[in-house]
Amino acid sequence: MVGLSEGEKEFIKGGIAQDLRSDGRKRYTYRPIYVETGVIPQANGSARVRLGATDVIASVKAELGKPSALQPDKGKVALFIDCSPTAEPTFEGRGGEELSAELSSALQRCLLGSKSGAGAGIDLSSLIVVEGKVCWDLYIDGLVISSDGNLLDALGAAIKAALSNTGIPTVHVVAGASNDEQPEVDISDEEFLHFDTSGVPVIVTLTKVGKHYIVDATSEEESQMSSAVSISINRQGHICGMTKRGGSGIDPSVILDMISVANFVSRQLIEKLDSEISAAEANEEDS
Amino acid sequence: MAAKPGTASTTYSPVDPTHKTKPSIFTDSDWVRPDSRGFQQCRPAFFRTGAVNSASGSAYAEFGNTKVIVSVFGPRESKKAMMYSDVGRLNCNVSYTTFATHVRGQGSDNKEFSSMLHKALEGAIILESFPKTTVDVFALVLESGGSDLPVVISCASLALADAGIMMYDLVTSVSVSCLGKNLLIDPILEEESCQDGSLMIACMPSRYEVTQLTVTGELSAPNLSEAMQLCLDACAKLAQIMRSCLKEAASAAEE
Amino acid sequence: MGLPNASEDLSSEMEVDAFRRLFPLRYFERHLTESIRPDARPLRKARDTTIALGAVASADGSALAKIGSTTMLAAIKMEVMTPSLESPDEGCIAIDFHMPPICSPIVRPGRPAEVAPVLSKQLSDTITSSGMINLKELSLVSGKAAWMAYLDIYCLDADGALFDAALLSAVASFSHLQIPVVSLDYDGKIVIMSEEQKEENSETKPVNKEKRKLTLSTIPFSLTCILHKSYILADPTAEEESIMETLVTVVLDSSGQLVSLYKPGGSVLVYTSAVQDCVALTRQRVKELQNILDDAISGMEID
Repeated sequence: MVGLSEGEKEFIKGGIAQDLRSDGRKRYTYRPIYVETGVIPQANGSARVRLGATDVIASVKAELGKPSALQPDKGKVALFIDCSPTAEPTFEGRGGEELSAELSSALQRCLLGSKSGAGAGIDLSSLIVVEGKVCWDLYIDGLVISSDGNLLDALGAAIKAALSNTGIPTVHVVAGASNDEQPEVDISDEEFLHFDTSGVPVIVTLTKVGKHYIVDATSEEESQMSSAVSISINRQGHICGMTKRGGSGIDPSVILDMISVANFVSRQLIEKLDSEISAAEANEEDS
Repeated sequence: MAAKPGTASTTYSPVDPTHKTKPSIFTDSDWVRPDSRGFQQCRPAFFRTGAVNSASGSAYAEFGNTKVIVSVFGPRESKKAMMYSDVGRLNCNVSYTTFATHVRGQGSDNKEFSSMLHKALEGAIILESFPKTTVDVFALVLESGGSDLPVVISCASLALADAGIMMYDLVTSVSVSCLGKNLLIDPILEEESCQDGSLMIACMPSRYEVTQLTVTGELSAPNLSEAMQLCLDACAKLAQIMRSCLKEAASAAEE
Repeated sequence: MGLPNASEDLSSEMEVDAFRRLFPLRYFERHLTESIRPDARPLRKARDTTIALGAVASADGSALAKIGSTTMLAAIKMEVMTPSLESPDEGCIAIDFHMPPICSPIVRPGRPAEVAPVLSKQLSDTITSSGMINLKELSLVSGKAAWMAYLDIYCLDADGALFDAALLSAVASFSHLQIPVVSLDYDGKIVIMSEEQKEENSETKPVNKEKRKLTLSTIPFSLTCILHKSYILADPTAEEESIMETLVTVVLDSSGQLVSLYKPGGSVLVYTSAVQDCVALTRQRVKELQNILDDAISGMEID
């Protein structure tokens, strides 16, 4: 919970109206992003993203499983977000559950696309090993360590970084198994398959404070919001998902305007993130 | 009841092997929807208020095979553990019956829908009008036939109106599915299962404000603005139907 | 105990609604002396009852039963199971009663009503012990496959006499049940036969061509009565149930035999004569309910 005096509230709102926020940023400027990859050695891929004082970790774990009967040509992805009590005392016990559920479902919508698979950041058919028999199950876990607003964007970036860090062992199917049986597989320790993460969208959350909207709001700014819209956009500028969060209604024309702003911001964000991720990868290999 | 968890795993519901799960190509221009509606035609909507007597307000909605009951309780005392609040609280819950879906489910709560319903409604309710207390909005999906959440949202706002909770405007909600190049309004279950993208809007038509909006899957920018306009127009029409339902109930009560 | 007397004096001056809330028992007893109930019913009359069959299209059998404003929705889904070794040619029935939070102000999400599991058990005991359903009719392939009928009853509006309404919806849904035609495929699994297959007489033969409907040999019906002092009130509302606690539920089958009788405690001890009165009331009520169910079924057949 953020406790602000009336004066502080006015200061934040006034700053946003004048395009000079309390930490010196402009309305559409992100805080500096730091990316660190390979932070969890036992996971197939992991990344830590810091956005100002917001700090999140994402990990990807792959296990062999059986594809569902409805979609025999696709792997499965499970996404779960946990809010640690270290981020905020109210997350203790079941307190963070609601926020966790909200973040998980928003990320699922933004990253996994629709039921037919269109707009998905992760190509599920690349996870298949033997159609209808064996596939990879991806478990993506996000952990919020410290929270200073804009969790969704940070988590989205962390998952993108973790996915590009992910190596999935190549699998050789032992030939000769009959049709009915579960085929035997041989998991390689040396060869790894890397994901093509260029299609993974980034999430841009626009927070509306007063008449204006800002990107990458801190929790102080979020406490003054009237509503927020999270838009996930991929490299081609296509919208892959959108969720409105909180509070009061917005005029439809404002939403369309927000989309075009998000489109503009997302291009810079993707570029920045890509360079940060490749720098982090290089760093990891050096050490 | 005790025998159930054990037996549930060993039973299966027989399927029709000839039934195709994937329908023919949707991109065909002469493709017809399974219920032979036009692409931009909603299912006939039926609303009735006062479906549950023991609730402060309630409504029943039926859109094709989608059948929903929403009860509103309160304003009543908040839970003991709640802190003091000078505005009212809204508590939403959406659950499914075990027979709502085609394959027998567990009939559990739907947490995601519950929080989406909460967000769609909170912008419309004048929470200042019932300080310190809670209004509970409980929805039960009797039968799921597609576009479940939009129907729940519209039905819930009607139930709130029936309970006499102060609102800025009715909230109506409609979704649009994108299949290939086509935009289909108010999709049924079969259409939803193979959509490429979908947009759901909840709005207050008289104020022309969007209270909740979600996009799933890929939608191009022109498609998105067209879909939004479709939804908003349909929402306005839906609001008229809901308003006349409220008026009928009120005039019946007077007599 | 100065209060009851004080209320006697106040009753002439107080608003009716305030009196009802403050001294509910007095309020009811004043009605009872006049042989009338607050909803204008005679003491031993049940509320209006309706049955609508086929309310849920996604189920194999369903019914909506209303007694006054108490509303129950029952639906049956048929699934296939492997029968147990002890009874290789018998199917099975699983009955579950739910009270979702929409039905009453006392039920909240995550905190289910205490009565729900109790009613669940009562219903399942009543239906199995009444012998209404011959479990052998649910068999498909002896020792290999049989039907498991999942009956789920949802209370949509709780206003007293929950058991009566739930039982009525349950038996009505069984009488509406239409078992799908199925055949055995090459893997030994049961599959639904499509329309074309039925017509063209292909090599796949239906397993259960004759057994589309269950023969309900005898149907149980029930009536709940409240006993208060020497009064017997049939078919109580939720308000009446909360004020006067002694309930007696009698279940009789359509031939008039006693299936079960519940008197779960309560402050009033009952003479056998009162119980006999309850049974006699139930006997009348069974005839009414049988007619209502028959009307509903014949109404379905015309459509």
